Amino acid sequence: MTKRFGDTTAVEDLSLDIPDSEFLVLVGPSGCGKSTTLRCIAGLESPTEGSIYIGGEHMNYRVPQNRDIAMVFQDYALYPHMTVRENIRFGLEEESGYTSEERDARVEEIADLLGISSMLDRNPGELSGGQQQRVALGRAIVRDPEVFLMDEPLSNLDAELRAEMRTELQQLQNRFDVTTVYVTHNQTEAMTMSDRIAVLNKGKLQQVGEPLELYHAPENRFVAGFIGEPSMNFVEGRHQNGTFTSEYFQYPFDTGIRDDVGDTSDVVLGVRPEDINLKRLPEGGSSGLADHEFRMTVSVVEPHGDRNVVHLRHPEDASESETIHALTAGTTVVDAGTDVVVSVDPDTVHIFDMATGEALHNRRLESEVEVRNV
Amino acid sequence: MASSSSDQTFDVASLVEDYSLYRISQYVLVILFIGFFLAPLETGIMTAFKTNRAVAETIPLMPPLAEGFTLDNMMFAFNALSGAFFNSLFMAIPATIGSVLFGSMAAYGLTMVDWRGQLGVLVLFLIGIFLPYQAVLVPLARFWNNIFPLASMVEPLFVALPILQGYHANLVPLMITHIAYGIPICTILFRSYYQGLPTSYVEAAKIDGASITKIYRRIILPISKPMFGVVFIYQFTQIYNEFLFAFTLITGSDTPEAVVTLILPAVGASTSGVDFGIRMSAAFLAALPTLIIYVAFAEQFAEGLKTDA
Repeated sequence: MTKRFGDTTAVEDLSLDIPDSEFLVLVGPSGCGKSTTLRCIAGLESPTEGSIYIGGEHMNYRVPQNRDIAMVFQDYALYPHMTVRENIRFGLEEESGYTSEERDARVEEIADLLGISSMLDRNPGELSGGQQQRVALGRAIVRDPEVFLMDEPLSNLDAELRAEMRTELQQLQNRFDVTTVYVTHNQTEAMTMSDRIAVLNKGKLQQVGEPLELYHAPENRFVAGFIGEPSMNFVEGRHQNGTFTSEYFQYPFDTGIRDDVGDTSDVVLGVRPEDINLKRLPEGGSSGLADHEFRMTVSVVEPHGDRNVVHLRHPEDASESETIHALTAGTTVVDAGTDVVVSVDPDTVHIFDMATGEALHNRRLESEVEVRNV
Repeated sequence: MASSSSDQTFDVASLVEDYSLYRISQYVLVILFIGFFLAPLETGIMTAFKTNRAVAETIPLMPPLAEGFTLDNMMFAFNALSGAFFNSLFMAIPATIGSVLFGSMAAYGLTMVDWRGQLGVLVLFLIGIFLPYQAVLVPLARFWNNIFPLASMVEPLFVALPILQGYHANLVPLMITHIAYGIPICTILFRSYYQGLPTSYVEAAKIDGASITKIYRRIILPISKPMFGVVFIYQFTQIYNEFLFAFTLITGSDTPEAVVTLILPAVGASTSGVDFGIRMSAAFLAALPTLIIYVAFAEQFAEGLKTDA
């Protein structure tokens, strides 16, 4: 579908097939069209072109009331003048097949599940952010819809609560087995919660697939840079006769990479921080370095406890125009200003076309660092 | 308890420092303006309780002295106005409720619901506010007297009802006129309030399956309570104090269905001149219902704000 607001195209030519019970996360930076897409699915906006089908039925001309969906808003949108019980019960009132007592019982059942039974007779204004979020969830769950729609529900929570709710949302989704479309700008939520991720940028779909697929085999530079925290390192340069040359580095390509890159000369080399290896500069200085090793200076170290993010620059790069960052174990001590040897295994390198951003070569997973199914 | 003498000395020096000429002149100006506004009010209250002799002989601002004090003016005014009070309230309260309710519904439909042609309808409402009452007096009288004589149609019904008399039917056209002419301003007032409400309430209710009317009835109407207080007070004051339409649609101040604004000019007037004591008493008595409504609804208005916070 395509959605335009006047002259601006919010969503362009987006096509997605979401199977039953899937948890799909729509992720992307602000303004990429993910919320607009969600609102079109909900019926709060109408697509300019294209069609929306839920359960095989054409939805374009159906009002939100008749789509059998439930939505959790970013600001929860709880009715302030009603108690929690009345808030949750409101959506059930329009559902046929319940008697009044059955509705009351169901409200109690869902409140119990979410741990908010003690708050049923309070007003939303009296609750904390986390509690309000649970009420908003309860309001959605109680109606047993075909689809759950969630518009950045965790953005207003503090970090600890967010992590807790992430797990709980996944558990709820597993339990109820309802198709969920979840919108967020946070790639951690996307990676940890989803069955599949759809990455959007400026209204266009960049890639859709399973989290690890997007992580290890991104289709373009945008997806590569968006997924993963800390983000992938990118070095721009030229490819000539099997060697990559940037302003400060030279990196020979092996046959596999050369085959994929072909004749393209302006390329971007991408490597994830955890694939960069650091070791101490040997006694002889930079004379004994192998092909894929470079000498670099540590500029800043960010200790996270479980790991360190080490920012590195080339010794001649005084203006720090081409820094890369590496991940080391938390117990590895590296001081700023130290000279180190950086090595990058060619198996872990991604190459992108500088002009189009398209991925020409992605890392190989057949080495001993491959993904193992437990 | 021991206390040093320095605590008890008044620090004149700092007081003088705090007050510059600018501040003093500001205060003087404010006091002058307060006096300017309160003087007529004070004069009126004083005059209401003075005998005719006292009115002629004492300064208007002075309170009535022992012989000059009388409650006769108040009694007379009350007797003259009592019928009119009932008429005014019988007309004003339903008219206020009607215009406020319809105004709120119209504002909801124009602000929180999307449909084609909204802007055109909104412009019509805006034009409605600026319509001068004077311009429509003659057509209005024609309409209610010749084209659609509602008063005479409804009269038999009123005769049958308790408390009400046949002549009260003449107030119904006035009531409906006020509702009609009150709707535009009420709509605009509510619209500004609804524009400030988050649209996510309406969206969430839609997704919950509620129809547009149900959303108004169950969500928007209860939330607008503070605004209802405000608009009710405003509309009641406008309708109750209104003279022009009442004068046009009700034939005279001597008719039994005359409202307070019609009778007030006639109270206390006689061939020997105007009895100011009676006039002032009547004016203050006439203002009482508005004051009571203000007090009653201001409380509800403040409470409405409290619970939402």
